[in-house]
Amino acid sequence: MMFQRNPLHTNPEPCNHLSDYKLKHGFNGYKAIQKLLVTSPIGRTSLKKPNLRILRCSFCNGCEKRVFLCLICSSFCCLDHTLLHIQTENGHDLFVDVERCELYCGVCCDQIYDPDFDQFVMAKHSMVLPNGVVGNESIGQRLIKRRRLVSGVGLYLQNESKFRFETKDLRGKSCFPEGLRGLNSLGSTCFMNSVLQALLHAPPFRDYFLSGGHSLEDCKRRTTERLCLICDINTVFSAMYSGDRNPYSPAQFLYSWWQHSANLASYEQQDAHEFFISMLDAIHEKEGITKNGSKGNGGDCQCIAHRVFYGQLRSEVTCMACGFTSTTYDPFLDISLNLDINISLTEKGKKLTKQNADDNMSTLLGCLDLFTRPEKLGSDQKLYCQNCKERQNALKQMSISKLPLVLTLHVKRFEHSFVKKLSRKIDRYLQFPFSLDMTPYLSSSILRAKYGNRIFNFGGDESDTFSKFEIFAVVTHSGTLESGHYVTFVRLRKQWYRCDDAWITKVDEATVRASQCYMIFYVQKTLYNKANEDLSHLPNSPGREILIPIIPEANAQRENPFSLILSLGFGESQFVVDKNDFQRILINSNCDKVDVETKNEVANWIYACGYVDRSLKRRLMSQKQLELFNNFLQLCLMKFFKCRLVMHITLQQLPIIRVVQPPFFFLYQGNNIEKKEKSRDKKGVM
Amino acid sequence: MKPKSSVNRPPTPDVVEREPTFQELINIKFIETGEKERLMELLRERLVDCGWKDEMKAICRAFVKKKGRNNVTVDELIHVITPKGRASVPDSVKAELLQRIQTFLVSAAL
Repeated sequence: MMFQRNPLHTNPEPCNHLSDYKLKHGFNGYKAIQKLLVTSPIGRTSLKKPNLRILRCSFCNGCEKRVFLCLICSSFCCLDHTLLHIQTENGHDLFVDVERCELYCGVCCDQIYDPDFDQFVMAKHSMVLPNGVVGNESIGQRLIKRRRLVSGVGLYLQNESKFRFETKDLRGKSCFPEGLRGLNSLGSTCFMNSVLQALLHAPPFRDYFLSGGHSLEDCKRRTTERLCLICDINTVFSAMYSGDRNPYSPAQFLYSWWQHSANLASYEQQDAHEFFISMLDAIHEKEGITKNGSKGNGGDCQCIAHRVFYGQLRSEVTCMACGFTSTTYDPFLDISLNLDINISLTEKGKKLTKQNADDNMSTLLGCLDLFTRPEKLGSDQKLYCQNCKERQNALKQMSISKLPLVLTLHVKRFEHSFVKKLSRKIDRYLQFPFSLDMTPYLSSSILRAKYGNRIFNFGGDESDTFSKFEIFAVVTHSGTLESGHYVTFVRLRKQWYRCDDAWITKVDEATVRASQCYMIFYVQKTLYNKANEDLSHLPNSPGREILIPIIPEANAQRENPFSLILSLGFGESQFVVDKNDFQRILINSNCDKVDVETKNEVANWIYACGYVDRSLKRRLMSQKQLELFNNFLQLCLMKFFKCRLVMHITLQQLPIIRVVQPPFFFLYQGNNIEKKEKSRDKKGVM
Repeated sequence: MKPKSSVNRPPTPDVVEREPTFQELINIKFIETGEKERLMELLRERLVDCGWKDEMKAICRAFVKKKGRNNVTVDELIHVITPKGRASVPDSVKAELLQRIQTFLVSAAL
């Protein structure tokens, strides 16, 4: 009985009668009851006396009503006579509801909760509670993997930067946030473009690539296998965040993917969901082997696809005859949901007259309910029960035992009927929320609902904060099964953008809500960088205008990988901090000695130097500026992040900062300093 | 030890030993064969399916909200929702259950 209490649920104040009882009788009553506990196959616990089939009230002899058992004298009485029992027997205040096995106080006339009681009840189940899989990966280790994107193209383009300056200036004024760039259709590849757009904006996935999680230089597969899909994803990321607004053609990526999934290599329209799965599988295959030495299965694989997209499903198959339950855990990349048409049309339809027509609308929550509902397996899928030693009817229930960082929900709109030998598309509208709370679908909640109202830890250590999700992308499908079109809506800084192959347009929320969703991408709320959004609607500050000549120059590095400007690692994930953010951080920090204007300037400067290369370095830095910057940064870090700057910035080492104490703070430039970097590494300064 | 006055309980009937009525006999039969348990399970399932349970939950929530979280007892809740709950069980569910009961009675009588 070493079960933990669930910290999420505070124990309610016990009523006086319960405290009195426990003081007087201890656990005697509970122990006596434990022997009578019977659990039905579906998990409901009730009390049964082996020699007594029908429980009767000791007063009225009736058996129709709810029967209660006195905890002290073990006599039965119905609800109406609990009062009488209390009056006749002094101190016999506490009862157990026979049917539900729940505590009831006859004096308060109320149900009461006692963790000790629940422990006695749950101990009977003697179930093996799963210890949720915890990613106990040290943060430091992850951060050490920091790598830089290195490209040789930079030098060549350097010379052209002046020329590009003019041409890119106009595009630089594009009001779209970074990373939004159209993807050219390469012949019915909207299925790929749509998923790519969603993935490119999946925060943890994006951060991994933007922080150089997979470096072109270190990739050994490039030589051995000729092509590396991840390198090509990297290239796509570089192109998307390069600042160029011209639509990009991910031809190299497509080719790479064809190599991987030969069966899907054709110019025909494919299923976006299939593509999504195959792409993540490809990443897992390449990355998983090299990092672990062996193919990790499920949760323990450290490849980026697993870290971001993999969750775990718990599936419980219960024998209807004896209640024996076999539990299996399966990893999942996404959850495929059936549209809850059947219920809403047949069973709910009968009640339609009474309720609004709205109730007949499919909702995502309804689909999730359907997904986690216990399901009777058909007679053709009888379970071989290890306990009964024969095939029995079974009840299957799914729940989510581990949530991924990015939750992908796939709506089964394409139906393949083997009986009719035809496929069709379900054009039903599905309502989906922008903020999703997955708590009710977690194993812990499902188990709690199953075993009744108990204060007990059902093995879920996903706290509330990790089960809250925010939407960031929706892949929609329009058209028919044979010919249709995929369009992605991406949400950046509270603004939705419609990515239709090469075209990107701003849309309002209503458009997104009205769309016919096919895949919905949610990210954990904690990773959803809210700070990003707050400042995005502010009018242009003077600080921004200073930036204008700088950013277009950054655009000059067309093929040059963008660089991560600042990356703040808090625990599991790294956040890419953009200028607005940093500005906010700096302005809010209480560095009294530095005036706001300087702060602004420095913020801009930091932002800028992440993007530009040597030419800017020359232009920006005077020794005085540098000193100011160093001091200021030192202050900011101390005050705001409570961490210590390890290295000072000098003109030669511009601009690499690394802070070792949490929260980790990086500032480094991606390119052009590779030689210096290497030599410094040798010296062991870094 | 003073019972709450808010709860209306029927007066305690006198305890009399008497012959069980026909209804009681049937009831006992149902329990003994386990049919009652099965019927309850079926009913639960149907009520969840048709949204009745959610409806009741909503009513309960509303009531608790109105009264304040700490001033509600299970008994009160039961008194409030029982009439509403009885009334809103879909006819189709009732019909199905009645059908099941009839079949059982016929088979039990044989």
